[in-house]
Parts: sequence; structure tokens; C-alpha cells
Amino acid sequence: MDRETLNAFVDGELPPQEMARIAVLLEAQPDMKAYVVKQEKLRAGLKFEEIMRTPPPSRLVEAALSAPVSWRWRAQNILGRNFILRSLVPAGAALAVGLMIGVTGKSGEDLALSHGRMLARGDLAQALNTKLASSGYSGQGPRLGISFRDRAGSDCRTFTAAGQAGLACHRGGDWVVTTLVTQTPESGGTYRMAGSEMPDAVRRAVEASIRGAPYDAIAEAQARANGWAGK
Amino acid sequence: MARPPLLPTDMDASLDQVRHQMVQLLPRLRRFAIALTGSAADGDDLVQDTLERALKNLHAWEPGTRLDSWMFRIAKNRFIDNRRAASRRKTVALDAAEQDAALDGERVLQSQLAFRDTAKALQALPAEQRQAVALVLVDGLSYREAADILEIPIGTLTSRISRAREALMAALED
Repeated sequence: MDRETLNAFVDGELPPQEMARIAVLLEAQPDMKAYVVKQEKLRAGLKFEEIMRTPPPSRLVEAALSAPVSWRWRAQNILGRNFILRSLVPAGAALAVGLMIGVTGKSGEDLALSHGRMLARGDLAQALNTKLASSGYSGQGPRLGISFRDRAGSDCRTFTAAGQAGLACHRGGDWVVTTLVTQTPESGGTYRMAGSEMPDAVRRAVEASIRGAPYDAIAEAQARANGWAGK
Repeated sequence: MARPPLLPTDMDASLDQVRHQMVQLLPRLRRFAIALTGSAADGDDLVQDTLERALKNLHAWEPGTRLDSWMFRIAKNRFIDNRRAASRRKTVALDAAEQDAALDGERVLQSQLAFRDTAKALQALPAEQRQAVALVLVDGLSYREAADILEIPIGTLTSRISRAREALMAALED
């Protein structure tokens, strides 16, 4: 019997019948048996059990838990896996004046109407100003999605908060909410939105207004450092 | 009054899950990387590089497929790339703290005689045989899984394993 077959036997790579046949055969063949025993020992000696038992260095755990994740992954998850960035989208007149969908009167202290524009206030404004989507979600308050430069040169960010999802762009020192989708609470006061994706209206608003690609972690942090001043 | 719960977007939850799966994989990744590089310090550098690369390219991973195979493949590719780069690069002086950390890791491994012998024997193998051994004999993957990670035909893997075995036996019997 050739060694490759015996090695495959040691590695458990043969069909069950063949494994059984060779196991029987080995009992009558001391040379072959000795070879197999040595190979099994070799395999056992290569397990490096000590490494498996030693806790990994903290820098590796740290890297796994906090190294930046690709913006493409974020975009895929927020906008749907089939989202394709289009750099050339005809500018929609509707977007220039702001797209407002499903705005309820009961918007709370996070939104205010001023000169015909809807502005982020309170916790929402605070989150838009300070939170980085790339550093993960703390579990509290509004959650940021993707950030990008729009065709007018403003910094824009998508967000979800308390049953609302929207797009806000930083203009004249305020976060102007250009798109807002409000979900009706189901019984029990919980909100539900299909899957993990942004509502279509928000996704379309991003697609229509984005210039280039969404910010990666570095660009997002830079935009914050610049006070979301845009271009 | 309590705020209504936030929209349950799964993104952060699933990212968290992936990151924690990566932490779970660390011992196996370290073992693989140390078997490839022959030292704890180099192995851990390779793992760190692999983690950063994997997260930076997370969009390329298909959820639902095996994260371990995908990461082993990245580690293997980084190992090959780094070896190419290392042959061109000048030695960069480590600062004192880095040196200490590297020495600590080294000491843990060097203290184990058996490890030193097997690690040395592994290092004497050609890199391609070492990759096959690190996946099949060290990590315990099947030939099929290992061949997929190394992106080689299964027959090639089988013969690399056999040749590596002969060499390891000869080296360790001395």
C-alpha cells in the first residue's frame, strides 16, 4: 500500500469502508502499523496545544473588535446588497427643494420647522454633529448610517431614530432634514422596518444626491473634524 | 418618558457578531500564523494584519459562508505577500517596548522544547508544503477545505502533505 493512502488514512480522508478495511489490514502488517503510529504521533505533535490554551494578546482582540470596517460593507448593509453607486444621477428637482415623505405633526423635540425647512434639533442634532458611524452603535440615541458629500457640496448623513429614518445635510450651520420617513408604531409601541435596510425613499434620496462614494471611516472623522462644513 | 425603541437595523448587531466570531477564531489563526512564520511575534503580526485586512474587505465576505476559511485564505495571502516584501525591505529597528513584547512571546514558545523542534522542522519545509501542513496537520482541516483555502487542486495538496510528512519525520527522528 502506498504511503499517500496510509497518510490519507491517518488524516481520516478515506471513505468509511476503506478506513475500516485498512484498520483491519494494519493488524496483520507490523511495518505499516508502525508507520501509521509514527504519523499519528507527528500529527498529534503538531497541535501546538499551548497556543490554543494561551489567551490571545490583547492587541489582537482589540483589532478584531475595533479595526475599521469597509465602507462598502456598511453601504451594502444599509442600502441593500444590490445598491450600486451611481456617480451620474440626473439631479432631481424634487431633491433640490427637499423631499418630505410621511412627516407627522408629532415630530418631538428632535425636529423643528424653520423658514420652511425641517431642522434637526436636540439629540438628533447632537448625534449628527458628534457620532461616527464607523465607531459602531452604542445602543442609545439616534443611529448614524452612512455619510457622504452631496452634489451641492454639503456633508450629508443618514440616520434612524425613534421610528424615523432620514437623510440630513449640513447647510448654513444646521442639519437640514431633506428626507424623513416615519413608521407607525405597531401595537405595544414597537417600530418595525423591513430587514436592515433603509426605507426606499431614503435610499433613493442618497442615490440621487451623492457625489462619489460614501465616506470611509477616515473621511467621516475628517468631515466631523471640519465641522461638517462640506466642500 | 421613555423613548420608543430604535429601528432594529441589524447592521451593528451583525457586525458585532462577525467581530466576536473573529475573536473566537484568534487561537486557530494564531496557531496557523505561527506555524507559517515560525515565531510568535511574526505570527501575531500576521494575525493582526489579517484581521485589519479582513475587516477592511468585509464586503467581500459572503454572509452565511465560512468565516474561518475566508480568514485563513487572507492570512495565507498576506503571508505570501509579506515574504515577498520582506525580501526587499530593510530591517526596521523596533522600539524598546515592541522588542520586549516580541521577546516575551518568543520566550513563551521557546520554553517548550517540543515546540521548538517541531517549529524548526516546519520552517525547514518549503513554504507551500508548510501552508498545507499548517492547515491539515496543525489545524485539522480536511483535504478539501485546505485545498480550497490554498486555491490548489486536491491532488496537489495530497502530494504536498505526503512530501512534507516524509521531511518532517526525517527531521524529527534525528
